[in-house]
Amino acid sequence: MTDLTKQAFAPPRSMLSGGALQIFYRLLAALLICVVLSFLSDSFLSLGNILNVLRQASLMFFIASGLTLVILTAGLDLSVGANVALSACLAGTVIHQTGSPALGVLTGLATGGIIGLLNGVMVTALRIPSFIATYGMLWVLNGLTYWYMAGETIHGFPPGFRQIGSGYLFGLPIPVYLLLVFLAVGTIFAQRTTWGQEIYATGANPVAARLSGIPVARRLLLVYGVSGTMAGLASIVFLARLNSAEADIGESLTLPAIAAVLIGGTSLFGGVGNVFGTFVGALILTLVLNGMNLLSVNASWQPLVTGVIVILAVSVDMKTRRRTP
Amino acid sequence: MGEAVTSPPGNPLQRIPGVAVTLGLLVVLFGSVAPGFLSPANITNVLVQSTVLTMLALPMTLIIMTEGLDLSMGAVLTLASLVVAIVSLATGSMLLGLGAAILAGAAFGIVNGWLVATLGIPPFVATLGTLGMAQGLSLIISDGQSVVGIPHSVRDIYSATIVGVPVPVVMGLISYAAFHILLYHTRFGTYIFALGGNREALKYAGLVPSRLLIAVYALGGMMAGVAGLLMTARMNSGHPTAGLGLEFDAIAAVAVGGTSFERGNGWLFGTALGVIAVGVLRNGLNLMALPSSIQVASVGLLVIAALFFDGLRSRS
Amino acid sequence: MKEYRKLICAVLVLSGGFAAGARADSETIAVFTKNQTNPFFQAVRVGADAAAKGLGAKTLHYIPTKPDSIPEQLSQIEDVVVKKPSAIVFTPVDYKAMVPGIEKINEAGIPAVNITDRSAGGKFLSFVGADDYSIGLETARYLLKALGGKGNVVIIEGVKGSLTSVDRVRGFNDALKENPGTKLLASQPGNYQRLQALQVMENLMQSNSQIDGVLAANDAMAVGAIEALDGANRKAQVTGINGTREAIDAIKSGKLLASGDYNGFVQGCVGTMIAIRSLRGQPVVTEIMLKPTVITKDNYQPYDVPPESRVCPSWDEVAKVGTK
Repeated sequence: MTDLTKQAFAPPRSMLSGGALQIFYRLLAALLICVVLSFLSDSFLSLGNILNVLRQASLMFFIASGLTLVILTAGLDLSVGANVALSACLAGTVIHQTGSPALGVLTGLATGGIIGLLNGVMVTALRIPSFIATYGMLWVLNGLTYWYMAGETIHGFPPGFRQIGSGYLFGLPIPVYLLLVFLAVGTIFAQRTTWGQEIYATGANPVAARLSGIPVARRLLLVYGVSGTMAGLASIVFLARLNSAEADIGESLTLPAIAAVLIGGTSLFGGVGNVFGTFVGALILTLVLNGMNLLSVNASWQPLVTGVIVILAVSVDMKTRRRTP
Repeated sequence: MGEAVTSPPGNPLQRIPGVAVTLGLLVVLFGSVAPGFLSPANITNVLVQSTVLTMLALPMTLIIMTEGLDLSMGAVLTLASLVVAIVSLATGSMLLGLGAAILAGAAFGIVNGWLVATLGIPPFVATLGTLGMAQGLSLIISDGQSVVGIPHSVRDIYSATIVGVPVPVVMGLISYAAFHILLYHTRFGTYIFALGGNREALKYAGLVPSRLLIAVYALGGMMAGVAGLLMTARMNSGHPTAGLGLEFDAIAAVAVGGTSFERGNGWLFGTALGVIAVGVLRNGLNLMALPSSIQVASVGLLVIAALFFDGLRSRS
Repeated sequence: MKEYRKLICAVLVLSGGFAAGARADSETIAVFTKNQTNPFFQAVRVGADAAAKGLGAKTLHYIPTKPDSIPEQLSQIEDVVVKKPSAIVFTPVDYKAMVPGIEKINEAGIPAVNITDRSAGGKFLSFVGADDYSIGLETARYLLKALGGKGNVVIIEGVKGSLTSVDRVRGFNDALKENPGTKLLASQPGNYQRLQALQVMENLMQSNSQIDGVLAANDAMAVGAIEALDGANRKAQVTGINGTREAIDAIKSGKLLASGDYNGFVQGCVGTMIAIRSLRGQPVVTEIMLKPTVITKDNYQPYDVPPESRVCPSWDEVAKVGTK
């Protein structure tokens, strides 16, 4: 890579690429929602509730963080939900058969990662558009999971293992620690490593990226592999939290995760966005759902409210993003 | 790549598209293995079953050609089918029900177009938002209950025939013809190609891309309205969740049919083939009574295979 | 001449008997269920298979690839009519929307038995099911009795708009009305999903410091609620519906108070038995409503058997099991 091209494709030097301003506005939006909810509901600001929200947001974040990398390359991974389901079912089986949570965790991560790599292979070697490749994978995974589970559930796991999902350490839920770890790792990876920069470049302009020597295929394999592995991680936390695995746990996970990434400011066209934004996006979505439960909003109104908030959150972003073409 | 194309890309005979290969293979496979597949009754079934999806996939082709996406179509379809039920129940008139559904669909389409074109919100997010709104409205106006007791005139739409051809198939054919003419033989069609491939040219020509985009999404909403009539006729009721998720089937059919997400080229006939391929697959698997999990996996494999063949082709 | 006639008669009778015997061996029963993921429907299918095997018939299963999809089940009906199975055992994905499909089955002359959800129309040989309303009512009554007729209760509903959820919740509410000492704090949807019920319960615990009872419209949600309670170190009496294996385990360990029995296995058995009997010209019963049972610590033993190992009731037992 020549110095000139390196300069052309290097993301802004700031810690949070995509503009610290964008992140600021999003945090402001989240804060605004918090303020409104604390007025509307007495129980919102209680410690218990805040910890719940953080834990619920982390579950969404695990999936969404890997997705962020994929979307940064102008791709999409629609199979994450189904990935979580299959990984959880296999991990659960392993824990039951071997009695070893460690083996179960490895199984979950490995399954997720393999699925991710398969997605990557379809996108790179087979030249299938990511929307279709991952959509097809979603159906194949569902078929596998339905056949494997045959309508049953796997339930009952060792208490030690379950701490991963429902335990506390110094008063904070354990998933929140995992959240912080991956938030840090993800942000540093994307902003501060060469690989991360190359991922941004690939998304911003794949042709130019290839011409400047970036091994695009390998980076794509990486991002899909990471997305899959994070889904595998999420499956472990779900397994621990729910104390069971079922074939359909993934159904309602994918679209909200994608929404979190997009609300967080990552663009579907690639090259713009960051992992911290995804965290804020996940937080906003979780707050909305939390608020609706606390306020006992009628079930029929909930999709409507969520839809409106999603649009509002992104329109505000559009208004503030005038400068970026 | 950047030119506005006014005719289908290339000579279809020269390069047989992946979807045609896939469809051909499926027909051969099921014709030999699935009992009753080639019977006239069954073929009619497949065509009739594919009509609703066709009506969604045709405008979706146009939307995708403009580098957009409409995730709200399934929810708007569901809302439209409820509107047909409620209005025709209240007024006794199928046509009024249809009209109301088309209006409702158009309204959502215009909102979608406005969000995408004027506010500049990415289509994925904008239509994800309107999906929620349409879904919510469906639950609210129906209070989560089915709507029954609708006039026979609605129900008859699904089962009636014209010259022996089922009315839904006739509607599907007319829709296809209309979209074909619109896309390939009107100026509006050239604008759509331009919206995807060369938006600058439109501005130089003095046109406002945002108004065109709104029109494209509105078209999608209106077709969802018409499809809503078919759904209600088929179920003889309006149901608050019946059509959810169909937009992904439509998008998959469009992509399988050869329309690309990136460039501004689109192949309407490919979309139709894509819809029929999915219908044939499901029908054939049902006739063979294969376990449902295999059916689920097959849908995914079909979609991947079709695009794999396409990829092979474009590389040679 | 007479000899010829006798011979022809004999041949006809023999071939008739042969054909009838051959038909009896190759009866194909098409079984329609709502989805692949709910253990309840798995039990229905296992029951149907067991009954068919015991009677020498074959089953074919039709399940929508998208769970609970109305258009798909309608398409499957249309496809099945082409195939012409001997009989159909049918759970409608939606009790109103499937009526046109049933009418197609009727037109094709294929006999059908309705199980689980009572269809709003169409002709059936028989209906075998349980009444969601009374199951909800009895289960709630049991919980409220355990609470001594007073306390704070929350309801976790199923899928908004589904008949089973509507009726069960109605049963819950009527039981609550019978106990004026109780207070309904909230009724929120869990969509029959474990994770959603867990998060709903977490959120409800924040806004309500004292929850004594949880009425969940199915077992998956009940278990989700229990996980939430455990996680917050709070206690409440929780009931579910369906009697799944997980629920039985939870009842055994004392975490779940009770689960309303909605015996899928028996419904599958009986529906299939009725279909086969009808094909063979044997007498059937036109309506079998399984009596609502609340499975508790005291009576769970017969339910603690996986569906694969269970045995279908005999026809005489069926007649006892439950006409209204």
